[in-house]
Amino acid sequence: MKKWLAMLLCAVLVCSLFSVAQATEKKVLRVATWDATTTAYLDATKAAFEASHPDITIEYVDLPAGTEYIVKLTAMLTAGDTVDVFDVKEVANMPALLEMGAMENLDAYIQASGFATDKYAGMDKCYTDAAGSYYALPFRNDFWLLYYNKDLFDKAGVAYPTNDMTWDQYADLARKMTSGTEGVDKVYGTHYHTWRSAVANWAVCDGVNTLIDGEYSDLKYFYDLAQKLEDEGVCRTYNDLKASGLNYRGGFEAGDIAMLPMGTWLISTLIADRDKGEVKFNEFGLATIPHAEGVPVGSTFGSPTGAAINVNSAQKDLAWEFISWRSGAEGAKAHASVGTIPAYVSEDVAEVVAAVKGFPGDAGSKAALLPTAVYLEVPVDPHASEIRTIVDEETNNIMSRAVTVDEGIANMNERAAEVLGE
Amino acid sequence: MTASPAAKRKPGKLTRRNTWIAYSFLAPNFLGFFCFTLIPVLFSVALAFLTWNGGSMSRITFAGFGNFATIFKNFNFAKTDLGITLRNTVYYTFFTVPLTIALALALALALNRAGRGAKALRAVFFFPYVSSIVAICMCWRFMMMKTGLINQALAVVGISVNASWTQDKNLAIWSIILVSMWRNAGYYMVMYLAGLQGVPAELYEAATMDGANGWQKFWKVTFPMLTPTTFFVSVMMVINCFKIYDMVAIMTEGGPGRATKMLVNYIYDMSFVSPKYGVASAVAMVLFAIVLTVTVIQFRAEKKWVNYM
Amino acid sequence: MSVQTVARRANGRAFGILGKAALYAALFLLACVTLIPFVWMLSSSLKLDQEVFRYPMRWIPETAHWGNYVEIWRKIPLGTYFQNTVAVAAAVTAMQILTSSFAAYAFAKMQFRGRDALFLCYIGTIAVPWQVYMLPQFIMMRNIGLYDTIWALVVLQSFSAFGVFLMRQFYLTIPNELCEAARIDGLSEYGIWARIVLPLAMPAVATLFIFTFVNTWNDYMGPLIYLTRDANKTIQVGLQRFIQSFTSDYHLIMAAALCSLIPVTILFLVMQRYFIEGIATTGLKG
Repeated sequence: MKKWLAMLLCAVLVCSLFSVAQATEKKVLRVATWDATTTAYLDATKAAFEASHPDITIEYVDLPAGTEYIVKLTAMLTAGDTVDVFDVKEVANMPALLEMGAMENLDAYIQASGFATDKYAGMDKCYTDAAGSYYALPFRNDFWLLYYNKDLFDKAGVAYPTNDMTWDQYADLARKMTSGTEGVDKVYGTHYHTWRSAVANWAVCDGVNTLIDGEYSDLKYFYDLAQKLEDEGVCRTYNDLKASGLNYRGGFEAGDIAMLPMGTWLISTLIADRDKGEVKFNEFGLATIPHAEGVPVGSTFGSPTGAAINVNSAQKDLAWEFISWRSGAEGAKAHASVGTIPAYVSEDVAEVVAAVKGFPGDAGSKAALLPTAVYLEVPVDPHASEIRTIVDEETNNIMSRAVTVDEGIANMNERAAEVLGE
Repeated sequence: MTASPAAKRKPGKLTRRNTWIAYSFLAPNFLGFFCFTLIPVLFSVALAFLTWNGGSMSRITFAGFGNFATIFKNFNFAKTDLGITLRNTVYYTFFTVPLTIALALALALALNRAGRGAKALRAVFFFPYVSSIVAICMCWRFMMMKTGLINQALAVVGISVNASWTQDKNLAIWSIILVSMWRNAGYYMVMYLAGLQGVPAELYEAATMDGANGWQKFWKVTFPMLTPTTFFVSVMMVINCFKIYDMVAIMTEGGPGRATKMLVNYIYDMSFVSPKYGVASAVAMVLFAIVLTVTVIQFRAEKKWVNYM
Repeated sequence: MSVQTVARRANGRAFGILGKAALYAALFLLACVTLIPFVWMLSSSLKLDQEVFRYPMRWIPETAHWGNYVEIWRKIPLGTYFQNTVAVAAAVTAMQILTSSFAAYAFAKMQFRGRDALFLCYIGTIAVPWQVYMLPQFIMMRNIGLYDTIWALVVLQSFSAFGVFLMRQFYLTIPNELCEAARIDGLSEYGIWARIVLPLAMPAVATLFIFTFVNTWNDYMGPLIYLTRDANKTIQVGLQRFIQSFTSDYHLIMAAALCSLIPVTILFLVMQRYFIEGIATTGLKG
């Protein structure tokens, strides 16, 4: 009996030693992000980082996507969660996160490691507070492009979209590509996803207007255009999309949409989905976003994605190691290797992205990766999130035809004035 | 709350010793109830007078009536958030309550007359009430699409609706009214069935002797006798209507624009999306005030009924 | 029962066979309308994605794709969702029955100081909508570290005043003489509760059981507020996430939706009686 007990004790001891040894062997860094299971660049950066840091394991904490992300993240952080790193999905969330005091001040880390903040074309400034202190670093920088389905253009015998179209030319091209009857062989010339950004954000591409300037008549042209195309049957209606909840990705991959204005994040998804056999056509292509009359060719809007260190993290140095790597040259390469645009600016990023297997081979698509100017989708401002809700709600009002375009814009102006006047 | 015979019993000699035993019976439930219901209820009142945007507690400041000033500022039923959500909620309640009552009463009367099969039918009508909310709201949203089943069926009887219900500024709220009728009528039907058991048959016999027809009997006998049920049901339903959230969140997301945004959607947004805790709690106080008023009316009126019946 | 039959007979004369036929026709039609969404769900769940919204719709798909029901288990962690939901619902139901039936005994069968005031306090909070205090409750839970755990939902729903109220109402119908007799026989209050009152109150327990279970199963807002990680989600929010995620697989959505209905449906069919009797008694004697 005694012998058994002794052996059992030994076994327990060995086991516990073993588990302690294992625990010290690999440090686990928890990173809060979204769509962790379906996003190609998260896998790529994890793999590359772990390869160069064999003692660290990255563990993603998967939060819901969309606007719900910040809701859940806020709840988690204020609950005192000790997740090490969290992604700042939209720069518009920065004021709220700063106000919460959830992010570690990065100035000391930047100074100590000599991290270069001048590689981000100014995007790093989105992540500072009023005093200029850094609280997060950008690692991804998405902007909007025009995707098109080469198969459909080839079949129709129409030339591919070019990188210098105006919005009117784009509309004509979309009309030309529309054919067939609903439910049988319908081809839609273009597709507007139900976001405000996909329908009307284009007004900010002139570099003068912003979404929080309180004056929204500049959006009128784009609402009118989208509604006209809906009425002509060139694209699915906003109402149908809302009611059915059709996702742009599923819609485009189904192969009955000729063109789709969308952010660069879709590139890596399309490539990955094509490998999985989920894309029902052969080749896609890319073009720069059309421009309005009087706006320089090749300007678009976008927004960076950043990462911050949780003030409650127990391993902040490790977290810094990760976020500085992710935002630096190495991380940039890892992002680009799967077709995601990193925030780190270097000449060969476009080369690397264009060289990804599955990236369209034509020169036009490659050139589309180099926009002449990228303006912020929503600027960083304490009122940004409130104003955005207003513009979103009124966009919903306009596109569902509950109000006319003019009424909707008047509402926006009025409601925004109230917020900005506070 | 009717006074029970037990409550009227004079205290026994065991009372004092029993007190501690009684507390031990209450303790498990009361502790949980105290911590997770009573304290939050009191806390919510306090919160309405604070400014707190969700961060650490050190950033809380006293707001006085500032939060109420914010939500009532430029109050307008067509423009401000509180005005619109109040208007929508009242509109929804105003139509849902009588329509559901009519449907529930009709079903109860019909089932009361049907002999064979009544039990199976009762189960069928009741079933939507227990069905999973996300599943059925999703299903209705799809069925109410522009070329969906509902519009196809309406076209057969000559009504042409050329819009998705959940996306039309006028129909959206009706899609919610109809689905909540569909879901809840069975529940209130059961209450009416119970109420009908209490109508004495002699009254019908007397009415028949006086030569009353079916319609007259309903208005002169059944309906008046069911008044307590109707009253109770409508109070309950009004309160439930003011608490609506899930259906709107799943079917219309408050849209188009703010056409179906309800009071609780507003509270939710201010609590978890914005977040502005003080404002959220101020709106919650408005909801509380409304529900309290309805409850007090019920209490008063019930006393009256008890007296003359 | 006899009252009802008499009433029916009295009406019967004016009613006639034609009326009866019309009544049944109307009831049957209404029953069909009531069930249509479920049939539509079933029909759609057996189609392929592009078929779901095809116009005009077919009730019976050309070929029934039963494989959809296998597919959904691969596409979403439905098993995890079910497991979590069952865990929450079972824990809440057990706690609710235990603590309510216990507390109700004191309210219904015992005399003690402050009883009526305390009971009024309970009843008072029934009148306060949960939506009024969900935020402070959330802040509290978050500060005690229950955010994103199913425990938050368990403590949230386990101590409702409704359960106490329901049990108390039923206990009041149990004659006090029974308890007195037991007291004389030397049974302690706990003994009386366990051996006499609780066994007699089984119908009320059944009612409370099914009410609590179904409500917890169908709860959407609680899990929406508290649960974040997929591993913790219940079926309602899991389903919602599936719908919102990057997909256009309507047939799969409907298949998953139908699956979420099954447990409650079975429970309803088995325990229907308690459900309906429960509403009839608790509703009106409030």
